[in-house]
Parts: sequence; C-alpha cells; structure tokens
Amino acid sequence: MTEKKKSKDSSIATKDVAQFRLPGPLVKSLDEVDKLLAAGSGDLNLDFSDCTFISVEGLEWLEEMLLRAQSKGVSISFSNVTPSVYKVFKVAHIDSVMGACGLPISGPVC
Amino acid sequence: MTTAVKDNDTSLMERVNHLTRQARLAAAVFTQYSQEDVDRIVKAMTAAAIENVEKLARAACDETRMGLFEDKMLKNFVASEFHYHQIKDKKTVGIIREFPEDNMVEIAEPVGVILALSPVTNPTSTVIFKAMAAAKTRNSIIFSPHLMAADASNMAARVVYEAAIAAGAPKGFIGWVEKSSRLRRETELMMVHPEVDLIFATGGTGMVKAACSSGKPVLGVGSGNTPVYVHKSTNVRQAAMDIIISKTFDNGTECPSEQTLVVDREIAESLIEQFKEYGCHDCNEEETAKITETIIDARTGGMNYRMVGQPANLIAEKAGITVPPETKIILCEMKGDLRGNKLAVEKLMPVLSYVVVDSVEEGLNRALDINYGGGTGHTAGIFSEDEDVIEQFGTFINAGRIIVNSPTSIGGLGGIYNNLNTTLSFGCGTGGGNITTDNVGIKNLLNYKRVPRRKHFTLSFQTTKNIYINPGSIDHLRNIKTKRAFVVTSRSAARRGHLSMVLERLPQDCRVDVFSEVCEEPEWHTIEAALQVMKQSQPDTVIALGGGSVLDASKVMRLFHDYPDLKLQEIAFNFLDFRHRMAEFPKGVKTQLVAIPTTSGTGSEVTPFAVLKDSKSQRKLSLIDETLLPTVAIIDANLTKTLPRDITADTAFDALTHALEALVSTVASDYTDGLAFEAMRLIFEALPEVLKNPTNVVWRHKLHNASCLAGMAIGNASVGVNHALAHSLGGHYDVPHGRANGVFLVSTLEYNAQIPHKFMVQSCYPLWVADEKYARAAQFLGLDEDGKLAAVGKGEKPHKGNIKQLNLALRRAIYDLSAQCGQPMSIAELGISQEDFAAAMPDLVRGAFEDMAVKTNPAVPLFEDIKDLFINAYPPRQRP
Ligand SMILES: [Fe+2]
Repeated sequence: MTEKKKSKDSSIATKDVAQFRLPGPLVKSLDEVDKLLAAGSGDLNLDFSDCTFISVEGLEWLEEMLLRAQSKGVSISFSNVTPSVYKVFKVAHIDSVMGACGLPISGPVC
Repeated sequence: MTTAVKDNDTSLMERVNHLTRQARLAAAVFTQYSQEDVDRIVKAMTAAAIENVEKLARAACDETRMGLFEDKMLKNFVASEFHYHQIKDKKTVGIIREFPEDNMVEIAEPVGVILALSPVTNPTSTVIFKAMAAAKTRNSIIFSPHLMAADASNMAARVVYEAAIAAGAPKGFIGWVEKSSRLRRETELMMVHPEVDLIFATGGTGMVKAACSSGKPVLGVGSGNTPVYVHKSTNVRQAAMDIIISKTFDNGTECPSEQTLVVDREIAESLIEQFKEYGCHDCNEEETAKITETIIDARTGGMNYRMVGQPANLIAEKAGITVPPETKIILCEMKGDLRGNKLAVEKLMPVLSYVVVDSVEEGLNRALDINYGGGTGHTAGIFSEDEDVIEQFGTFINAGRIIVNSPTSIGGLGGIYNNLNTTLSFGCGTGGGNITTDNVGIKNLLNYKRVPRRKHFTLSFQTTKNIYINPGSIDHLRNIKTKRAFVVTSRSAARRGHLSMVLERLPQDCRVDVFSEVCEEPEWHTIEAALQVMKQSQPDTVIALGGGSVLDASKVMRLFHDYPDLKLQEIAFNFLDFRHRMAEFPKGVKTQLVAIPTTSGTGSEVTPFAVLKDSKSQRKLSLIDETLLPTVAIIDANLTKTLPRDITADTAFDALTHALEALVSTVASDYTDGLAFEAMRLIFEALPEVLKNPTNVVWRHKLHNASCLAGMAIGNASVGVNHALAHSLGGHYDVPHGRANGVFLVSTLEYNAQIPHKFMVQSCYPLWVADEKYARAAQFLGLDEDGKLAAVGKGEKPHKGNIKQLNLALRRAIYDLSAQCGQPMSIAELGISQEDFAAAMPDLVRGAFEDMAVKTNPAVPLFEDIKDLFINAYPPRQRP
C-alpha cells in the first residue's frame, strides 16, 4: 500500500492537497468532507490514523463520495489506513477505495 | 460486477448484484467484529426467534400445507434455543483453538458471503439455524427459499435479521430472495455470482445438484433412506415408542427419520402388537399394495411428493383404506427380495415399511440394502442391548449418523437425545456426494488458519556411563561383576598380547569364552557365528577388545543376544530425521558391554552407532540407537603403545575428522562443541609427538582421550559430508577409513565454510554458523594467521573481518599436520589412477550422496557439489 499523496495529473500537481483527519470510527457520512468537496477547494487527503472501525454505511459513503469527487475531477487519497480497516477494504474490494489507497490504475493487482 | 450468464432480464440481474454486493460489504465490515460482538448479536437473534416460534411454525404450515404445526414449533426451538446453547460458548473469532503439544494455534477466518438454500420441509427452522450460524461465524448469508415456502422462510429471515441489526450487526449481512415466479432463475444467477463464496444447500436434489455444478464450494446434503435394525435384545416397548415419536415427527418430513425397519423374527410379532396398541395400523398384503400405489410415484419410483408430510389417516383415505382418524403410522410389511420392492425407498410421511429377518447377518444385509438404496452417508438407527451387534452395525452401515436406541429423526437433529451437534443440515459424505458427514453447523462455516510454531527439539546428550580413562585402567576388569564373560576380539589383538591382559584380570570364578573371528568390516555372518557361541555360554558380560570393527560387532552381538527375535532389516532403516527414525529398537539391554579400544580413532566405545556389512547385498548398514551404547569403556593407552605408525596416523585423522564434523554439525550443542574443541587440540598436540616416540604412554594417553572425546561428540552430533565422501571412497578402493577421511579434510572445510548453495532443512538449525565455528576452532587451537600454533587471539569472539582469516589458518594447520605426519592429502597419493578414478566417479558420487552422514552437514551437498569435492581431492594439494 502506498500512502504517498500523489496527483494523477501533473498539471494540478502544484495544487494544494487539503488534509482531513477522520475523527474516529467511520459509521456515517462526514459532512465536513462533503462540504470540502462541494467547495471544490482541490485535492483531498483523508488521514485514517484514528479510524479503527468502519461500518457498511461508512463504506457506502466512501464509495459514493469517491464517485462524486471523480466527477468533479478531484483526486482523493487515503493515508495511514489501519490494518483492520485495510482488511475491510480488501474484503469489500471496491475499486475506487483501493485506488484512493494508492493502488496503481493499471498493471498487476494484488 | 459481471457474470457470464446471459439474461435478458436486467432488473433480475440488478437485484442479484444488489443482494450480493450488500452481503459483500457486510462480510467485509464483519471482519472487525469481536467475539463479544457476535455473541451479543446471536443472543438477540435467538431471543427473537424464540419469541416467534409459534408464528413462524404457523406460517410454514399454512404456506406449505405440510407437516405438523406443533412439531414445526419444536423444530424452530431446536434451531434457535438448542442451537444457541450449543454454540454460545464456542469461539469463532480470533484464536479459536490451541494445540499446546503441537505448538500450534488455529485462527478463524470467515468464509465470506454464503448463499443458503432452504427446503420446503423446514422452511423457517432452517433459516433460523443458518442465519444464527452465519452470524456466529461473521459471515453474510443470502437465503434462497423454496418457492412453495418462500414467504414463511423470508419471514423467519426478517425476524432474526431485525434483531441482529438492533444488536449491532452489519447492515445487509442477511439477505433473501423475494418470492416470485423468477425465484429459481434468480437463485441460479446467484450460484455462479462472483460475490458468492460458499453455497450452503439444503433442499431438493435438483437444487443441490445445481449448486454442486456451480463451481463454488458447496456444503450440500444427500438424500436419506434410513434403515433401523430392531435387534431381538431390545426392549420392544421402548423401540415402538421411540420409532413412533420419530416417524410421526412433523408428519415424517424429517429426512433422518425411519424409512424401513429390519426386525428380528423373535420379536417381530410383539413389536407389531406394540405398534398397534400405540395406535399404528399394520396393513395386510392387499392394503400394502394400495398404500404402495398411493405413496410411490410410478413414473419416478420415488415417493409421491403430494403425500409428503401428510397425516396417516389422510394417506390411508387416499389409498382407500379405512383407519381411525388418530392413526399414527401406517406399517407395511415387505416380503421377498427387498431390492425389488417399491416401498424400499425414502417416504417422508408416516408410512413405515418393515422386513422380518432370521439372524444378525441377515439383519445387517437387509439394512445395507436399504442404506445403499438411496441413503448412503445419511442416517441409520439400531435398537439393541448387544454392544457387539451395535458395533457391527456401525462398521458396515455407511451413515454420517448412526443413532442407537433412540428416535433417528429427532436424534439426528442433535441435542435432545444425544450430544450430536444440533443441525438441520445433514452432511452425507461422499456417499451422498458431500464433502462432510458432519451435522453441518458453525464449524463448517469457517476457514481455519493454522499457525504452527517452529518445532523445538529436546536436545540431549548420551554417552557410555562408566569411562575409565588412565593408562593401566584395564585393571578395572578385576572389579567387574561377571560370572560368564564373552570376549570378542580380532586375531591381531591376540597377537599383540591384549587378550592375555584381559583374561588375566577377569575374576577367577568367571567362565570365559573368546571369539576372535572379527575382521575389518564385520559382516552379518560373523555376528551369527558369535551368537551361536553365546547361545551356549549365556554370557552376562560381553567384553569387546579391539578397534572400531570389533567394538561395532560386539554392540550388535550383545543386542541380538538379548533380543534373538529382532530382525536386522527392521532396525537398519535409512532416515531423514536423526531423532525420529522408523527403526524400532527394543528398550534397554540386560547383558553388560565392556568396550576396550585398542586404536585411537573411532570412539566407538562411547557412540550409539554400529556399522555392519550386509552379507547378501554387500551394502553397509548403519545402526543407531541408545541400546548400542556400551556399559563401560576402558581407555587404557597401554593397549595402543604397539599400534603401528600408519594405523596410528590413520585413526588419529579419523578422530580429527570426527571433531571437525561434530563441531559444525546441524545437531551440534554446547556439550559436543566443548568435546570437539578439546579433542582437536589434543590431536594437534599429541599426534606429532606420538609419531616421533610411539611408546611414550603420556602422548599415547592424550591421543587415546582425544579419540574418546571426539567419539562422544559424534555420538550426539553425528558427522558430515567428509565422512560421506570417505565412506564412498573407502568402500570402493579399500582405503582405511581414517586415511580416506584425511584426503578430503582441507577441501570439505573450505566447502562448509562457504555460504551454502543450499541451506540445510532442519528445524533445530536456525543459524548457519559453520564458518564461525571453524574460526572458533582456530582460535581455540591458538593458531596465528599462517596456521601456526602461536597462542594468540585466544578467546576473542571472531568478528566478520577475521572469520575468513581464521578459517584459512585452520586449513593451513590441518595441511601442516598432515604433511608432518606423512598423511596422504589427495586421492592421487593413495595410488589410484586417474582413469580408474574417472570411471568410478558416478558410483563414488552416488555413494556419498546417499550416505546418511550428509544429513547433519551444515550445508546440503548437492550432487554437483559432491562431484566437485571428489575432483578437488584428486590432485596433490598445495598449502592453502
Ligand atoms: Fe569416522
């Protein structure tokens, strides 16, 4: 897993990447993130350091939020994902979520 | 998500995708749940199910028009309450089992998304059961109910799901396919859906077959046809009551329920009378024919599905027979060959066929007819007080559940009449096309991750118990307790005067027999000859006097004298693991063995080894066991004073090789290391002196001790590749063992000090340290950089930089010692021609490759490595 913040498009590489640290377990949508996304202030990094649990609702929100971001051309990345949450991502195998964790877009996948 | 299934109904596919996707997310989230979390959820589900047993039973009866409401209630209780009690304390999260003796733990991993089929016969209880089992194991489960019971099944699913969610379960972990005309199609799509990990099929054969051909792992069930043998030893009243309880349970819809009784003639009449007394109807031949016609589908030969779960009086009525309305069971006797009888099939209704038999043998055979008539692997029953008959029945009948002296249907469910796991899903093993014969449950819904820890060996150290070590210690023979001694020796020992030294010292009243026919490389026929003499003389003590061959032969003689029935082939196995050998030696020996070495080389007086030549195959047989260890060793250097110069040097080089190989052995220990170090130091010091002054007993003594110490080291740490090479060369060219060892020493030391091409596979050898140990040996010997004895650097831990230097110094010292002693250091020096050597090479390499000695070498000598070691040992050596 790569947790480096990177931009898919070099033209926006200089854009500031906003940081947002998840306050704890992710069990519902996070209004702050939705607002940041709506404001269109640029790329966003979600720090999962304090997120030790994720619910189905949390997963669904992530998937839906990433879809929204994509349609806006905003790049979202996850960092410091804990193993128990990363295992949830692995079992759920949602492409967009794995992408936010730094999974290469092409090439062999594991 | 895509599937290969062609389907025009996209909304159907969307439903399938949605259901499976929900289940997948829930399964992912479930991985975070603790044991406490799932136990809380399962408890809540149980409570909700219990609260609804009646409502769900009613719904099942109303929708399916099958079975008995009261019994459906009981089944719902079994699925919830009984099931709960059985699983509530079971561990299903994290480490679920520990195997302290095997140093291993098991960690649970959920299977993921389960597609569960539920049958028409148990529409609500099966759902309760499977949903609870899924929750307990942190799996998601999607129910695909039987079309004729879908509303009842889904009602059960909703009841437990809502309770689970309230207790914190992940959203969507239980799902269900709604009743619709496309239910079956939807199920088929789901069976091959990539998001489904396991199919848990309970239901009609068609559905189970479809599941099995989906390519997914399947927990299936087979069809039943339960035979019940009522043996004459049984209590007829109990048998009749139990069978009625069982066969009428839910109007006979339970698949483990009795289908055909096999009744001993002695009790047949009283049993049928008892049935009648309890309200069953025994049909006459005409009635039996009518019943058969009614309940058997003439087209398929199977039961008529319209009669499944119907009450007895209704079936009778359909058949045109008048019976009282409260009739419990309709009994039909089968006559003639069972195998052609239409009634000898599964009948999930209160119709019970029976056959009368005249012996246990006939009873077992008729039971087998039924068992193999469509019910292999499922259920069988026996009523008997005769344990032997019960055991025979269990041996011959192929059934996952063999219920003894109790109802087979409720007995098969587990929990009420016995301690079988509670289930509503009966694994039938391969007999029923299933993977398990289990009462399928939580155990089958987990992946088991085994976490074995590295094996720890108990390293031990054994050697000869009493060792007398100074010159003149042969006098100890005067104190030996013996009435009958058997002296084993060689002709040369007699010649050198050693035999008389021994005989003079044995007690006056001791009867002594002498066997002096042991020559180099003793063969089995020599042992046999000695055993003949021993049979006559019945010695209490064997005295071995001579070199390694005499000592080895004496060890074998003593063992076979104590155990005349032992077979040589059975104790001379090749083996991979030094500690777990296949050969089974007896425990303990009673005849004492006194070993008196007259050469300073093999150390056989303190090893548990013996090498013998098999007279027939001419192969060398290696025996290893504690029972071969001598009882007493006498290390008296006076006996080596007359040893010729060449034998002195050859045997000393054998001892030196022992020390060097034991040191780097994969099973070396601190104990053997100490012995190896001191043995080599003594050899370096004493050998040149002995060769200069062969009769000097002080140096002879040091050399003799060195050989014994090195023997203790190999006795516990074994040898290595150098011995394998020497055995092969020596066997081929008749080169004395020690001399053959000497020609390889410098190159094997260099070989073993290199990072191995292939590391040795041994649990007890976690660190490759051969080079460090050689370096330590060089330090212990006090070698300077050039390999000269010059007490420097002693005791310091070798550091990376000087390990190579110290290894080189050791090889130089060995080269110098060999040169000083005139010991050959190459194969060429042994007088073997290059042509001859080249021709023998394939045999030589194979011989060394197959030698057991390589198994404790610090590196795996590959075939090519061995070849190189031979080639490098041929030309005369230069000083390293
Ligand atoms: Fe040896």
